[in-house]
Amino acid sequence: MKPENSWRYLLVGSLLLVLPVLILFQLIRLQTNPQQIKEFKAQGKSLTEINTELVPPRGSIYDRWGNLLAGNQIVYEVAVELPQVKNPTAIALATNLVLGADYSRMLGIASTPPSVNVIHLTLAKNVTQDQVNKLQAMQNEFNQKYGNLKRGAPSLDGLVFVPYLSRIYPEKSLASPIIGFVNATGQGFYGVEEKYNDWLAGKTKTFLWSNDPVEAQRLPDMPEGASLVLTIDQSIQASMEELIDQEVQHTGSKSGVIVVLDPKTGEVMALATTTRMDLNQFWRAGDIYPSGTPFDPAVSETYEPGSVYKVLTMAAALDSGAVTPDTKFLDRGFIEIGGTIIHNWDGGAWGPQDMQGCLQHSLNVCLAWIAKRMGTSTFYSYMQRFGIGHVSGIDLAGEAAGRLKLPGDSDWYEADLGTNAFGQGVSATPLQMAAAVSAVANGGKMMSPHIVRSIISKGYQKDIEPQVLSAPISAETAHTLTEMLARSLETESSDALVPGYRVAGKTGTAEIPTPFGYTSDQTNASFVGWGPVDDPRFVVYIWLEKPQASVWGSIVAAPVFREAVERLVTLLNIPPDNIRHSLLGQ
Amino acid sequence: MNRAGVTLLQEDGMERVERLSQAYSQAPWRKQMQILGLFLLMVVLIALVASIYLNVTGRAGALGRDIQKKQAEMLDDEQRISDMKSKLGILYSAGEMERRARALGFQSIDPEDTMYLAAPGYVERQPVNLAPVYQPQIISAPVLPPQYTESLFVWLQKQFNQVLFPLFKVQP
Repeated sequence: MKPENSWRYLLVGSLLLVLPVLILFQLIRLQTNPQQIKEFKAQGKSLTEINTELVPPRGSIYDRWGNLLAGNQIVYEVAVELPQVKNPTAIALATNLVLGADYSRMLGIASTPPSVNVIHLTLAKNVTQDQVNKLQAMQNEFNQKYGNLKRGAPSLDGLVFVPYLSRIYPEKSLASPIIGFVNATGQGFYGVEEKYNDWLAGKTKTFLWSNDPVEAQRLPDMPEGASLVLTIDQSIQASMEELIDQEVQHTGSKSGVIVVLDPKTGEVMALATTTRMDLNQFWRAGDIYPSGTPFDPAVSETYEPGSVYKVLTMAAALDSGAVTPDTKFLDRGFIEIGGTIIHNWDGGAWGPQDMQGCLQHSLNVCLAWIAKRMGTSTFYSYMQRFGIGHVSGIDLAGEAAGRLKLPGDSDWYEADLGTNAFGQGVSATPLQMAAAVSAVANGGKMMSPHIVRSIISKGYQKDIEPQVLSAPISAETAHTLTEMLARSLETESSDALVPGYRVAGKTGTAEIPTPFGYTSDQTNASFVGWGPVDDPRFVVYIWLEKPQASVWGSIVAAPVFREAVERLVTLLNIPPDNIRHSLLGQ
Repeated sequence: MNRAGVTLLQEDGMERVERLSQAYSQAPWRKQMQILGLFLLMVVLIALVASIYLNVTGRAGALGRDIQKKQAEMLDDEQRISDMKSKLGILYSAGEMERRARALGFQSIDPEDTMYLAAPGYVERQPVNLAPVYQPQIISAPVLPPQYTESLFVWLQKQFNQVLFPLFKVQP
């Protein structure tokens, strides 16, 4: 080493020594300063950890046989990754062409300059697989043709497709009032979708997801939302919907409802209404159901049921001992109660009648007399036990309670006792009426009407046990009244009679109340019936609103009942009575 | 011994020590080799530790990436299963089934055309069970033997009683 160069060696050596020492010093300083430790940790986490929200798949809805009524399908979010966008115009054109999206809006989004906070922007949601396939094909084609060309060439780079699950209803409009729908934000509306929204949606979980593969963590347990098995039968529901559509058109009615219940369990087998919607097009709900239109009139719309209500009045009278089937009544064609004169439906006097005759000829005067004979407290006590004026508690959203004015209410008058006896001045939903009458079909026990049969959650199925809602009348009364109603139909050769099957039932024709009183040219035609009489398997309630073919329930509603029963016995595999008895005897 | 004689002796001793130390000291090149060897050993050790660390970290990272990939695949599969169930639902929908049945020549049956036969052992169609029926589980509390709960004093007392009790026990 030459002495004149020694200082150079010393300098280089010192630098080489000082630099690592400085680095070491800085490392120690950074790693021992609590404030900076906190800051750096936060910075590191922000880059490696993402606050992720896991949304479980919404639970499915099945009919009683496991047919899917509501499930989930893969749809896509079409978005742009802004730093990768080469040609916003091409993206806007492609999305306009394939998705029908507004060109200028798409161009605006795709042209957004990327920043630290804005990298990913959504162009469209709910995009189908077919549409995505088309866009991907265009993307590949552009890449192959113009991939190596400079900026400005047609390119769909930056266009990304993010799959997610969205609701689908394979049956489209079938049972739509029962099911309800889910909107774009995943919120359930109407029917079981609303009533069981929390169960179906499951619990959304938020957790910190680390990008660092060394810190790979187990995904939190994310059970999908509970699934529901409904009591309805897909085939019966479809058949009843077809029937009510056909009959509403045939009778010129404004609308119609058919309720089919199992009187022994309270299970709703079908609930058909004329206004339905394709649940996959939930955004059309506002057009199909304008303001004030109930989504499910069977549970949400109340009306004055008319003479079908006489079944409840007679049940109360027989059960309380106010009358027996043989009690005689001389019909003079009118009766005065509370200062109001009540007439029969035809204005005529029907002379001497027994109780079966009163039901058979649907005599308002006779039923008003029976209610008077029972007394106010007894009559209303029975009506409350039948659930009139209260919600039935069915597990569907938006159930209406109806109205039963009670003595003591400011708008109750003594005359109401007489009119209520034949279903005037009292309102109920078709489902309430069906549930109340099912007590007569089920030996006096009124089962709680319900639509969900089982809930499947966390891998287990929990069946909902049938529950007795009340026992308004005795089994003996129920049997007696069933026999009276069956004979009534047979004696008058009603259009409701079903060859081979013994059924019991009652027609109803109700005038519609208006601000100017009751109109007689427009009515609500109803029929309630059940069968087979010796072993009831179904209760069928028919309501035709404002039929044009005839105002009478016996003419327009009774044949609908017969047709409904003919379809039901086939779908439920119920043999004609004589064959059933002979098979049971074997 | 005079002063000169002492000096000679001292010089002789020093020479001996020097010779001795020279005899036992290492050559400079050997020292340098030792330092170099130690340095290389440290480098090798550091490289070894670093390679083990990198290997373990690399494998953990690769496994982590696999796990993340599988998790993503699992979520994709769940979505696809849901999607396919719905596609199956469409194929089994009432309208579609009716259309296919009619295309195959089936037609709706009237009640009077139906023939009912007694079929021994026939079980009526039962509503669907899509999952095992839930049954509440009764979790029995674990029964611990007394050895796990009793104190040493209680145990000694028991042992003592077992020995003594028969002696004092009054037979009926």
